[in-house]
Amino acid sequence: MVVAGDPASSPVAGGAPITEEEALVRLRQTDDQSLQYYAAWWLGKMRSRHPDTLPLLCAALGQRQPREPAAGVEHNAVARNAARALGKLGEASAVPALLAALEDEDDGLREAAARALGDLGAASAIAPLCRRLASGPAGAGALRTGNSRLEEPCEAMLEALGEIGQAHPEVIAVIRPFVAHERPLIRSAACRALLQLTGDPLWGDQLLELLEHPQLQVRRASLMDLGAAGWRPALQPICRTLAENSLKLIALRGLVEARASCEQGHPGDPDPSIADILAAMDDLL
Amino acid sequence: MASPDHPGLLIEALQRADSPERLLEATENLAAACHPGAALALVEVLGFNNPGAAVAAVDGLIALGPLAVEPLLSNLDGHNYGARAWAVRALAGIGDVRGVQVLERALASDIGPSVRRAAARGLGRINLEPLEASERVALRLHCLDALLAACEDAEWVVRYAVAVGLETLLSQLSAPADQRQRGLAGLSGLAAASEDTPVVRLRAALALERLA
Repeated sequence: MVVAGDPASSPVAGGAPITEEEALVRLRQTDDQSLQYYAAWWLGKMRSRHPDTLPLLCAALGQRQPREPAAGVEHNAVARNAARALGKLGEASAVPALLAALEDEDDGLREAAARALGDLGAASAIAPLCRRLASGPAGAGALRTGNSRLEEPCEAMLEALGEIGQAHPEVIAVIRPFVAHERPLIRSAACRALLQLTGDPLWGDQLLELLEHPQLQVRRASLMDLGAAGWRPALQPICRTLAENSLKLIALRGLVEARASCEQGHPGDPDPSIADILAAMDDLL
Repeated sequence: MASPDHPGLLIEALQRADSPERLLEATENLAAACHPGAALALVEVLGFNNPGAAVAAVDGLIALGPLAVEPLLSNLDGHNYGARAWAVRALAGIGDVRGVQVLERALASDIGPSVRRAAARGLGRINLEPLEASERVALRLHCLDALLAACEDAEWVVRYAVAVGLETLLSQLSAPADQRQRGLAGLSGLAAASEDTPVVRLRAALALERLA
């Protein structure tokens, strides 16, 4: 899982506090895209319930703009932020627009759309996600020539399948080859999804191995993935690993809140209780 | 290797460190010596923008306890945000009354959730024993007000730390009844359905159960 910086960080443009009304005005205009970018982020972050929010974000999802490396602006920046915001709002009516974005030629937008569809638990996204991943690590997971990206945003798509949570045999069959991907972050995402879908300790154990990876970036991803899956046998390994307490706290929150409903843990080895996890969190503050 | 009586060589090693790895190692050695003469050098490490070494330095300063407070307070660098954040963590861990003002300010207005989180935990663990009874009540009130104000913090992890801070503060036997009532009310708010993060509700409920 991709790990963002400090949770306090926000998009640079127009960082001053604004009202919901002001955010809607900024998103509605199209002359200044940096204002739209910030407004889309703000409406998602604040979980805006205004009746104009959803239609405006869906419209912004259709907006296209070139990348501006000098200004630090990513390709289709407004649309990508609109997708992220739609994922946070929890409104199923955003699903068709996000499914359309999942077919966009911009893989960054497909990535944001996949994450949002996962956040929304959109079962209708399972088929298109599986279709895009079906070619496996050598196809969808192949490295592109000329940059460091993969053919498909596999990490986001695998995580989305796990979040949506339907353990069809076909879905498992699509995810499984990715546990052997050359990139540890992709392996981590695949194990996380399989752990969420099957509850099989095998995948939890593989995530625990990644938690000892020499690269901090991989340990961070594994932390977040164990938290997302709510894998309680990970309590002590999470406390021990070398990473920031802030991330460990987020992972332990996941152990408390996101416990997978499936079979958990190793037979005969009782999982840590909520009280154990809270005590560990207290020690990390 | 220097003996614990003479941190000079260890400090020299720290000053000579020319890579992040050597800096970390030298800081760990100096922190392990647990010598009052090491405090100032450890405080300096907080400003070096090396998180691993800063963690080791904070641990060393916390181990020194009250002896580290004066060096920390007189070197709070208003311009280096990173150094200040680490100093707040050290003061939170030490729990000395002289650090209360810094912790209050950090909890109310620091931009980093991890700093506010440490400050909240620290405000619950201030050692009030050295104070006279009347001063003790007044200072505990300061800590309580700061924690109650932070029940509305936007970050769940800070509210979690506030629940922990309130529990520790109220578990001191000498807490006056009115302070206790206000603190319990704050915890009840964090345990209520209006709190949207389940783990915060659980932690606040656990605190209420333990204080009952």
